[in-house]
Parts: sequence; C-alpha cells; structure tokens
Amino acid sequence: MGPEQSIHIAILGGGRGGTALIELFTRCHGIAITGIADTNPDAPGLRLARNLNIPATDDPVSLVSDMTVDLIVDVTGNPSMPALIERHKSARAEFLGGTAAKLVWSLIQDERDLYEHLAHAEKLSTLGTFAAGIAHEFNNPLHMMLGFAQLIQDTQDPASVQEYIQEIVKQIKHLSNMSTSVNLYARTSAQGELVPVQIPKLLDEAVRMAKFSTILDEVTVIPHYEPVPDIQAEPGELLQVFMNLIVNAVQAMNARGRLTLRTCMENGSITVSVEDTGPGIAPQDLAKIFAPFFTTKKTGKGTGLGLYIVDTIIRKYGGRIEPRSEVGKGTAFRIHFPVAGLPQQTVPSSHPATPASI
Amino acid sequence: MGMWPFGHHDPSRASMGRVLIVDDEENIRRVARLTLTKAGYEVIEGKDGADAIEALNSGENPLLVDVIICDIRMPKINGVEAISYFRSQYPSVPIIVQTGFPDLNLATSLMKQGVSDYLVKPVENEKLIAAVAKAVEGREMFTT
Repeated sequence: MGPEQSIHIAILGGGRGGTALIELFTRCHGIAITGIADTNPDAPGLRLARNLNIPATDDPVSLVSDMTVDLIVDVTGNPSMPALIERHKSARAEFLGGTAAKLVWSLIQDERDLYEHLAHAEKLSTLGTFAAGIAHEFNNPLHMMLGFAQLIQDTQDPASVQEYIQEIVKQIKHLSNMSTSVNLYARTSAQGELVPVQIPKLLDEAVRMAKFSTILDEVTVIPHYEPVPDIQAEPGELLQVFMNLIVNAVQAMNARGRLTLRTCMENGSITVSVEDTGPGIAPQDLAKIFAPFFTTKKTGKGTGLGLYIVDTIIRKYGGRIEPRSEVGKGTAFRIHFPVAGLPQQTVPSSHPATPASI
Repeated sequence: MGMWPFGHHDPSRASMGRVLIVDDEENIRRVARLTLTKAGYEVIEGKDGADAIEALNSGENPLLVDVIICDIRMPKINGVEAISYFRSQYPSVPIIVQTGFPDLNLATSLMKQGVSDYLVKPVENEKLIAAVAKAVEGREMFTT
C-alpha cells in the first residue's frame, strides 16, 4: 500500500492513550499520523512525537482544522473537546471520541501487552541459547584470573607478579564489560527510557554479545562507521535488533565469512547496514521473512519471531528495514532511521515507514 | 612398548611427562604452561583441534605426549571432534577436558568415550596438577 492511500490521523491527547496510539500507528502500514496535540507541551506523547518527527502541537484547533486529516481520535478525556472538534474539523474528517476512543485504546493496550509478551518470549528463547555461551565467556576470564592469582602466590619474581596482575586487571575489565552487555540485553523493554544512543558503539556491543550464541572466530568483522547522529531509543531494544541481525548473518554464513557493519547518512536518514557473505535468501522467502513465525531454520532452532520483532522495534522508532539478497552472494539488511528534528525525505519503498506528514 | 604411537615418558627425558594443552585462549594455555612447567612437566600447546593435531603430526614421528588437556568450544576442529580423533589415533593417551561448559550430559558422554577427567573452569592450578598427575599415573599402570 502506497502512502497516497494512507489514512491520515490526528491524535488529541498526549498522555498514555496518545503515546500508545503513536506506537501502534507507526507500526501499521497505511496509516500516517498528521500530528498530535496536547495543551501540555511536555506531555509524553508530544515528546515521543518530536523524536519521531511527527508534528506535535499544544494547539488542538490548528491540528483539528488541518484539511488533510481523515480521522480525529480524541483521547484527552476532556468533556468540552467533542464540541471544539465539531466546530473546527473539516467536513470530511471523521471523529472518534468518548467510549469508542476508550474501546480503541483498550484494544491497543491489549495488543501492546501481547506484543510485549512475544518480544519477551523471543528474548528468553535467545537467552536460552546464550546460557552455554555465557558460561563459556565468563568462565574463561575467571579461569585466567584464578590461574594468574595462584601463580602470583608462588612466584618471587617482581616482574612476573606485575605482568600477572596486569592480566588479571585486563580480565576483570573484560568481565565487567560483558556483564554490562548482558544486563542491557536482559532488561525488559517496558521499563525502558529513551536515551541518546551511539549506534556504532551499540553495534560493537552487539558483536560482543553475539559471541554468546555463535562462534565468531572465523568471521571477519568489518566495521565501516561513518559519523551519524545519536538516536533517541531504548538501548536494550536496539541491541536486540542488531544482535538478531548479526547472529542471523553469522548462522547464514555457517560461522565462516565476512560480516560488514556500516553506519552512514543516506537521503537525510541514519542508515545502518548488516551484510553477510552467506548463501543469500531465496526470492520467494524474502517477502515473508518479517512475518511472525516464519522460519527456515530446523524445528526447535528458531522461533520465527526474530525478524518480526526486529521490524516492529525499528518501526517503533519511525524507521524501516530493507533486506537485499542475492542467492550465492550474501544478504544485506539496511535500516533507515529518521534524524530527530529533521524533516524526513520521502524515499520510494515497498516497505513504507511513517510517511512524512504534510 | 614400541607399538605405542605415544610412549609413556622415559626416565632420560628428565621431566614428569609431556602435556599437550589445547585451548583457543592464549592466556589459558599460558597459565597451564606456567603451572605445569613449575610442577615438572614439559608443555606443548595447540590453539585449536586442527592446530593440536598438526603439532602432534608435524615431525617425522608422531610427537610423544603423556596427557592431553583439551577445551571443548574452539574454532575449526572443536573439542568433541578433536577428542574423538585423539581417542581413535592415540587410544592410550589420557585426555583431560578443561572447559567453561558445566554440561553434565556432555561430561557423561565424554567420560564414556574414555576421557579421564572433566574439569569445569575456573580450575585451581593445584587441581590441574593433581588431575595431570593422576592421569599420568593411570597411564603408567596401564602400560606396565
């Protein structure tokens, strides 16, 4: 469905209702959010909208009177709002408020809970495959620390002692980094706050984490990081996205090949790309990979939720993901994120993001 | 005695025995080397299964070792594959598994294949020395 067929929606109310509506609508194909209004300029829904480059205003009248709006959804709970909307809306705009809006909101909350459960289940299933890798990655440094500590007890040579201590300190730092990564990943997304995220740093983190579930020794990791602005996101969610793509890429290559990670600016959007030299994805599968429960892995090996969740998280941040694959050559997943505060350029795509509002 | 591809150590070698340590982490091999050298053993190293097999077979005659200490999770030829190779080629050489995986099923299956010890990292240096001594001793009882 192209943007020209999109339903343009105006949201009134920037509280929990408005926030939930934005999160849902940005995930849906064929819906464009014209804007969101709340008399409180600091309402959470308005802050989220600004991060996603959705027009946010403290003047409901200007939004309601926008001629392009197809549907106005009022979740302010303000009893005087329906009359105000009737006075200012265009003749063709429909209006959803009162009990009907409440019903929509509760359906959305239900859907969101369901999604949170799915995302969590996928995370737990990945953590399960991590368990052995985590034990390995933690026990190795511990083994070295114990070994060097006991060697210190037995040695008289001050130079050796210094050297062993340096090794122990190095291993402690390594362990501490890993524990930070695991914590970041395991945190449930519901409690997350949006913070500025440096994408290249998070990609490196994802490579470290990927070692828990797959062996990277024979994969050449090639980072090509051009400077890109930070994005406002929950780091744990983006880590889940990058790790998922990296682990998929390594598994596709049978743990042998080149993994290229790129960040750059392209058509005014932040572009992240994860490329492998694996066998590629068959064209008939390429269209289905983001559908929930689609998997080409053996039964019990994949949940089929990985890329579905990747896609959902990326949409939540106003972005979109494009797979490009050539059988026999490899696959590249390119992610485009909007830059907060910059109008997004419309890029022709079969996989539209939140279309730029007019 | 000459039938054994790996002879047990002979007294003229003046060491307690020769140990092959196979682990992809350099510092883990280093700890083992420092610890076992101090305890009187001669130590050779392999950084993965393939490297270890090559180290054993690089000379004109297969290198004689008394004990093999082997990790499980390694690139190229992993521990399980390497162990099955060692068992088939050098059935008289005791193998000690030293791994970060606390995996009971794997331990049981490896013990069934004749692995003499299954140590889970972190392993105390004393414990490693004891395991090596026990394996060498068992081997001497077996070969004499």
